[in-house]
Amino acid sequence: MIFSSTILENAVNEFARLPGIGKKTALRLVLHLIKQSPAEVQQFTEAIDRMKKEIRFCSRCNNISDTEVCNICSDRSRKSETICVVESLRDVIAIESTQQYNGLYHVLGGIISPLDGIGPDQLNIDSLLRRIKEEKPEELIFALSPNIQGDTTIYYIQKKLQDKPLRITTIARGIAFGGELEYADEMTLARSISNRQPVDNYMSNNK
Amino acid sequence: MLLLQNITLVQFKNSLHSSFVFGERIVGICGNNGVGKTNLLDAIYYLCFTKSYFSKTDVQNVRFGSKGFRIEGNFVRNEKSEKIVCVLRENGRKECSVNDEAYIKFSAHIGRLPCVMVAPDDVEIITGGSEERRKFLDYTLSQLDPAYLQALMDYNRILQQRNYLLRTFADSPHRDMNLLDVLSQQLLEPGNRVYESRNELLEFFLPIVRELYETIAGSGERLEISYQSQLQTDSFENLLRKSRDKDILLQRTQIGIHRDDLQFTLNGENFKNIASQGQRKSLLFALKLAEFQILLKHNGFAPILLLDDVFEKLDDNRMRNLLHRICVENNGQIFITDTHCERLKETLEQLQVRHQIIELEAQ
Repeated sequence: MIFSSTILENAVNEFARLPGIGKKTALRLVLHLIKQSPAEVQQFTEAIDRMKKEIRFCSRCNNISDTEVCNICSDRSRKSETICVVESLRDVIAIESTQQYNGLYHVLGGIISPLDGIGPDQLNIDSLLRRIKEEKPEELIFALSPNIQGDTTIYYIQKKLQDKPLRITTIARGIAFGGELEYADEMTLARSISNRQPVDNYMSNNK
Repeated sequence: MLLLQNITLVQFKNSLHSSFVFGERIVGICGNNGVGKTNLLDAIYYLCFTKSYFSKTDVQNVRFGSKGFRIEGNFVRNEKSEKIVCVLRENGRKECSVNDEAYIKFSAHIGRLPCVMVAPDDVEIITGGSEERRKFLDYTLSQLDPAYLQALMDYNRILQQRNYLLRTFADSPHRDMNLLDVLSQQLLEPGNRVYESRNELLEFFLPIVRELYETIAGSGERLEISYQSQLQTDSFENLLRKSRDKDILLQRTQIGIHRDDLQFTLNGENFKNIASQGQRKSLLFALKLAEFQILLKHNGFAPILLLDDVFEKLDDNRMRNLLHRICVENNGQIFITDTHCERLKETLEQLQVRHQIIELEAQ
């Protein structure tokens, strides 16, 4: 792409560095901003600037927050007896959208994978262990990706909590709701059969 | 019954665009060196395994100067037609589909279209390192049991993580033993699964190999084959625990099914060291035909057999016996390549089976 202005080129390049944005999309966004009033663009850049400068991580659960403690942790109506361990903020948003969980969270910031240079030290595991010691929750729910690294992370943390009087659970793995059996892969199906549920239980959960 | 009816290759290896129709169960492919006989077999293999038998990366399968390739074949499997398409896009993305439904995991395809290839370089199974023999076992077992392939892939992934962790131990004062133990623990289930499956297979596989070898070699040679695994001496868990310090020192996992091997002995001596070229080839055929028989028994129909340049291997008499056994005594589809069209025609005619000859010419 050849530009008549270096200023324009710089702006396009900055946008193109964002994930999922190519050069052409970047140019479209920049041209759109050029057409807008200075006040509107000011508002846009300020929002981004503030976002980076003022955003904080909750001192309790590492969730993204405006304040020292995030609004989930400071919500008195939520049950502090359960902590749901997730990989990232996106998982918090996903679980919150279900409106089925009323406990607290703990954001690890990733999962253990030595190959990718991520060991336990790079994650918020120490703060989780400290939290468990101080807050004495009754249950820890792991909601991590159902893969080998997810399992490594679960076993690692569980090992550290062996002597604690604490229920440790993980989200169910199996056939997706609304999915069709014949299209499920064999491993998922096999797992669903070995972890089958009593129908009573299943019915009452869905009432 | 499994039959390939036609295949179309676009920019795969040395072909620009070529289509073949297979009307007979036995297909002879002949032509000079470099006209693409082996590539045609490899394309068939590709449709069965979603990968090449010969090249490690897909970039190597693309015709020189082109980007991407496409292979499309129409099979008939148990009287149902199955269209398999494998495409490498220009951006390097690979797609495989069956009847226009794309696979999310390619591993789900393995075993659906059973196939056995015999190629000249396969003597490596006998003369090469233990990796070749494990690969042979793994390909056989993966076609029999998808759960085996899954366990093996899981095992390899955890092993990689563990080895990488061991390497980081070398230049870090802080060693997280807990994490090492967790990874060791995770290795147990898939490791034991693979070990049990290999054991189970070899129990009936090895006698078949021995019997086939005797038939092919046709003499009173005493061939012994044994499965060797560290897991035979103690439980995997104990072995891993005992070798932990050694693993840390050597920065690699020293124990596990990734060290398994098959040992061949002839009249009590190491086969590799004393066997002649002919004996090696007899053993190779015995191994491959045993795989063929096991797949046949498992599926209820014969796998596709791809024989690449096999005439150089054995003397005429043995070859004829072998081909009779393969072509006449079972009803699977067979593809045979040879550089000499006359020899190929003559041999297939002698067998008195319906066949088709494809003469390839330089493009």
